[in-house]
Amino acid sequence: MSRLVKKSPSLCVDLPLDNTDVCNKLRLLRQLMTSCYGPTGKLKLVHNNIGGHVVTTSTSSVLLAAISSSQPLVNLIKTSVLNHVSRFSDCGLFAACLCLDLIEQAKQSGLRGNVCIGLNRHFLAVCVSYLQREDCCCKVKLDFCSSHNLIALARSVISSKPACLLTEQETLHISKLAVQAFLLTLPCDKPGTVSLGQTVTICVEGHSVLNSAVFPGLLVDVTGVLCVNKSDNLSSHRMLLFSASLAGDIPELGEGIIEVSSGVDTDARILDQLLDLGKQAVEDDVKLFVCQKVIHPVLQHYLRSRGVIVIERLGITLMEPLILLTGAHPVATLHTSLQPKAYGKVRDLSIRQFGSKTLLHLLAHGESAICTMVLCHRNETMLSELKLVCQKTEHVLRLTLREPYALFGGGCTETHLAAYVRHKCTDRVTESAAVLGCSESEYLLGMDRFCSSLESVAKSLEHNGGNSLIDLTHAHNWTVHADVMNRCVEGSLGFCGCGLVEGGSSKKWTYLNTKYAEFSPAALTTDSPVQPRVLDSFTAKLNALQVAVETANLALDVRYIIKDVLDLARF
Amino acid sequence: MEESSEASVSPFVVVSPVLRHQHEQCKCVKLHRERKRESERVGQDGVEGYRGRKRPPVGLTVTEMLPVDRLHLKHVLQTVGALEATVLRSFGPEGGQVLFTRDTGQAMLTRSGTRILKALRLESPLARMVVECVWKHSSSTGDGSKTFILLLASLLRMIHTKACKEPNVSHTYNSREAAEAATARRFADELLAFALEELEDLIAVGVAPYGFCVSWEDLSAKSHPPAAHSEPHCVQKLLASFFHTRLGHTHCDFISNLTCEVLRHWMFVNDLPSSALHFVNDNFPALHTAVSGFPMSCSRLIEGQVIHRDFSVPCPRTEDQPVRAVVFSGYLQPKILSAGDVLKVGCGGQVTDEKSFVEFSAWSERSLQCVIANLQRLGVSVLLSAVKQSAAVLALAAQAQMCVVECISKDELALFAKLSGATPVSECWTIESRNVSTLTFCRPILLGAHRYVHLAFQDLEKTLTVEPCSLVICGAGEGQTDQLLLAVLQCVRSVLRVDMVLHTHSALHAQSRRPTDVSSEGSEDEAED
Repeated sequence: MSRLVKKSPSLCVDLPLDNTDVCNKLRLLRQLMTSCYGPTGKLKLVHNNIGGHVVTTSTSSVLLAAISSSQPLVNLIKTSVLNHVSRFSDCGLFAACLCLDLIEQAKQSGLRGNVCIGLNRHFLAVCVSYLQREDCCCKVKLDFCSSHNLIALARSVISSKPACLLTEQETLHISKLAVQAFLLTLPCDKPGTVSLGQTVTICVEGHSVLNSAVFPGLLVDVTGVLCVNKSDNLSSHRMLLFSASLAGDIPELGEGIIEVSSGVDTDARILDQLLDLGKQAVEDDVKLFVCQKVIHPVLQHYLRSRGVIVIERLGITLMEPLILLTGAHPVATLHTSLQPKAYGKVRDLSIRQFGSKTLLHLLAHGESAICTMVLCHRNETMLSELKLVCQKTEHVLRLTLREPYALFGGGCTETHLAAYVRHKCTDRVTESAAVLGCSESEYLLGMDRFCSSLESVAKSLEHNGGNSLIDLTHAHNWTVHADVMNRCVEGSLGFCGCGLVEGGSSKKWTYLNTKYAEFSPAALTTDSPVQPRVLDSFTAKLNALQVAVETANLALDVRYIIKDVLDLARF
Repeated sequence: MEESSEASVSPFVVVSPVLRHQHEQCKCVKLHRERKRESERVGQDGVEGYRGRKRPPVGLTVTEMLPVDRLHLKHVLQTVGALEATVLRSFGPEGGQVLFTRDTGQAMLTRSGTRILKALRLESPLARMVVECVWKHSSSTGDGSKTFILLLASLLRMIHTKACKEPNVSHTYNSREAAEAATARRFADELLAFALEELEDLIAVGVAPYGFCVSWEDLSAKSHPPAAHSEPHCVQKLLASFFHTRLGHTHCDFISNLTCEVLRHWMFVNDLPSSALHFVNDNFPALHTAVSGFPMSCSRLIEGQVIHRDFSVPCPRTEDQPVRAVVFSGYLQPKILSAGDVLKVGCGGQVTDEKSFVEFSAWSERSLQCVIANLQRLGVSVLLSAVKQSAAVLALAAQAQMCVVECISKDELALFAKLSGATPVSECWTIESRNVSTLTFCRPILLGAHRYVHLAFQDLEKTLTVEPCSLVICGAGEGQTDQLLLAVLQCVRSVLRVDMVLHTHSALHAQSRRPTDVSSEGSEDEAED
C-alpha cells in the first residue's frame, strides 16, 4: 500500500493573464523566441539538467520541443507552434512571436476579452483576404521557368537558420542543391495527377559543405568490398528485391507447435529452398539482388560467386524509393518460382566514395523522380541542423506547387500588412465597429494593437541594436545601424528588407512603432528589373498568421486554469 | 475557528449536524432540480448577485478544506463557492475557456461544466457529492451543469444570509449557531415545499407558453440545400446557441453550420428525420478526423469515407476510375497450425515425412495465390483488411496491382459495410460478387501529419439515399480539436434528447405550447424541455 500515491488536489489559477507569474513566463518566452528570429538571430545551447546531449539551435521546432514548462498557457502556445511547424516547416518563430506579442498588446490595451478576440479575428480576416487577392502588393508569383525565385526562397529558409554556421558561399551552394533536388523529384513525363518523388538524404561528417552534392537516382550504403564489373556494356541490369527475410528462418505455419525429431536437418531443407531461388535468379540473369532483411551467408556467397551484387538489410525506409526507381515488385514468396514481372531494372551501377562511406549509385532505367542528396559538414551538431534545414527547405519548396506564390521576406510583408490594415480599416470604422459590437475607440485601439504586433515582429529581425524603419510609400521594412545619426538616416539606407526597393531621396521614412498617418501602400512597378532577394513561403506564412492569431485569441479566452500536480515529495 | 473548538467539546453533536446538512444538501439538490424547470429568473438573480461580489481569490485551491469535524452551512457554502468559482468564468455567452492540464502533461480545453467538474480532483466528500449530483443531472439532460452549480451556490448563499439575519433565537437552542442552523433548515424545507407544490403551476403559466416546439420539418427541410442567405431555421439556431455555451464565441457560427451540413448529409430519405442524429451519434468515431496545426477555419466536410489507415501496398495510379473493393475480416493466407496443434517432423513417415515440412508452407503460398487469382477474376483492386496480413499477401497483391489497407478499426469497417452494402469476407475460399463493392475512387489523402485512405461509394442513390461525408476538424492543437469534436458530439446528443422528450411530451402538451422565437440564451432550457 505504501506504493499507492495519493493524488494531490488540483491547483487552480483564476484569470491567468492577470497573474504576474504567468505574464512573466509569457514575456520570457517571447524574449526567447524573438532573440532567435531571423538570419542574425542568436543561437541557443540546449542541454538538460542531468547532462547529456548538447544541441545548438535557433530553430523553433528544436527549441520549443526542448522547453518544458510548468505553465499550461506556455505549453498551449508551444503545442500550437510545434503543430504548425510540423505541417509547414517554416515560420514557426514568426507564429510564436506574433502570438505572444498579440497577447501582451491585448493585455496592455485593457480591452475587454471578448472585444479583443473579436477584433483580432476581424483584422486577421482583413489580412487573409488581402493576401489571397490577385493584386496583393506583397507577394510574387513564382515562375517555375526560372530558378531565381526558387533559389531566393530556399536561401531565405536556409539563411534564417544560423545554427548551420554556413558562409555566404555555402548558403548559396546548399540553396542551389535544395532547388536541384526539388526539381529532380518532379516527374515530368506524365500528365494528370502526379505523385512527387523522394529525396533520400545521406550525411557525411567531417567534409566541407561545398562537397555536398545531389545525384539523380539512389545511393545505397554498402559494406564490404564490391566488385562492379564495368566491362558489362548492357544498357540495363535486372534486379530482384525481396521484402521477406532470406535468413533461413523456419516458415510461419501458425500458432501450433512443431516437433522436430533428432536427425532431421530442417536447416538444410530450408537452405536448399533458398539456393533454388538463388539459382533461378542467376539463370534469369539478375545482376543486383537486394533484400530488405537478412540474407543467409551461404546464399550470399553463392550469388557473389556468380557475379551478382548482393545488398542485404536495406531497411524499410529505402524500400519505397527503390521500388519507385526500379519498378520492381518486392517478393515475399519463397516457394513459388519468380514471376518475370517482379524484376526491376537499373540503368547503371557505379561506386562512389564519400569519406569513409562507400555508396552504390543506382540509376533509373526509365524516368524516375528519385534523387539522393549527400550532405557534408564539419561536425555532427551542424550536420544534424543542416539536414533538418534541407528537409524543411524541400517541404517549403513543395508547398509552392500548390500555391505558386512567395511573400516578401525581411519583415516587409509584416510592415506592409500593418500599413494596409491601418489604411483599409480607418475608412470604415463606424460600420465595422457596429458589426463587431464595440465602440469606435475600441475598434481603433484594437487596430493599433494588432498592427503594432505585426510591426514588432518585423522589428525583432534586428538583433544588433539597429533601428527599424518603414518607408511611407511602399511600407517596406528598413534597418539602419545603431551608430547612424538621425539626420543622415536617409543616406545610409541601401535596400529594404526584401531587397526590392532601393533607398532614395524621394522617399520618406519613419521609425517603426511610432505613429504615422495612414496611407495606402503603393504597389511596385511591375517592370522593375530588380528581383527580391529574400522571399518567404506564402502557404506557411499565411497559416502561421492564422494559427498565431487563433492561439492568441484562445490564450486570451482562457479564464481559468486547473492543473493536476504530481506530488513528487512522495516518490 | 471558534466553531471547531466548540465542536470538540461535545462529541455527540459532531455527527448529527453533518448528517443533517448532508441531508439538507440532498434536498437542496432535489429542490434545485425541480426548480430548474422554472424560468431562469431565480438563477439569473443569483448569478447577478454573485457577479456583483468581489471575484474569488486567485490561486485558490478548490479542495482546500478546513479540517473541521462539524459541518456548518458556512463550510458547505465555502465548498460550493469554490466549485462555483471554477465554472463561473466559463458561464454564459460571454464566458471564457477553462484550461486543464493533467499530470501527464495532456491539455484539455473546455467550457462544458460537466467536463470541468469531472476533471477536478476533489478531496472533500461534500464537493464530491455535489459533483456526483451534477453528473447525474447532466447525464439525463445533457446540459445545465454550470447553471446547477451557480443556482445551488446562490440558493445556499441566500439561505445563509437570511438565516444569519433572523436566527430564530428561542430558548430551545443553546447557541446562536445552532439557531442559525435550525433557521436555515426551516428555509430549506419551505423552499422544498414550494418546489413540490407550487412550482409545477408556475412553470405552466410562466415558462411553458414561452417554450417552442422544434418541429422536425425544420430538419427535413435541410435535405433540400438551403438558399445562400436564407433565414436560419429553428434547429440551426438551437445548435448555434448550444455552441455558444461550449466554444469560443468566434467559432460558434462556423461550427454550427458545419454540424447542420453533416446532419443534412446523413439524412436518410425514407426514415425519421432524427435518424441522422442517431446515425451521427453512433458512428461518430468513424465519421471524423482531427487535424492539428491548421486554423479552425480549415475545418470542412469531404465527400465519402476516410479510413484512418495508410495503404500497406500503395495504390497504383488509377486516375480515379471506379474500383472494386473487398473487405476481409481475417487472414488471407491460411494458417495451417492453429494453437494446440502439433506438427511432427521426421520420424520416418509416421505423421509426416521430412520433405513435407517445407511443402506445408509451399502449399500455404499456393492457396494464397489461388485466392489472389480469384480476386483478380472478380476485378477487385482494393483489399481492406481488419487484421495485419502476411508479407506474402502484400507482395502478391502488389504483383497483382492491388492495393492493401490493413488493421482497419471495427467501427470503420462497420460503416463501410453499411454504406457499401457488401458483406465482409470471413472465409477466403468463398468470395462472391456479393462481397464486392464498387467505389467511385480510392486514393490517398493527406490530413495533417497522416496519410489516410479516402474513398467514395458508387450508386448510393439507389440503395441508401444519403450523401456520405466525413468531418475534418482543424485546430492549432489537440486541445482545440478535441474541444470542437466533443462539442459537435454533445450537440448531437443534446438535440437527440430534445427529440426523445418531444416524442413523449408532444402529445400531452400540444395545446399549451405556442411557437415563439428562440432566444440565444435558451439552449439550456430547451435541452431540458
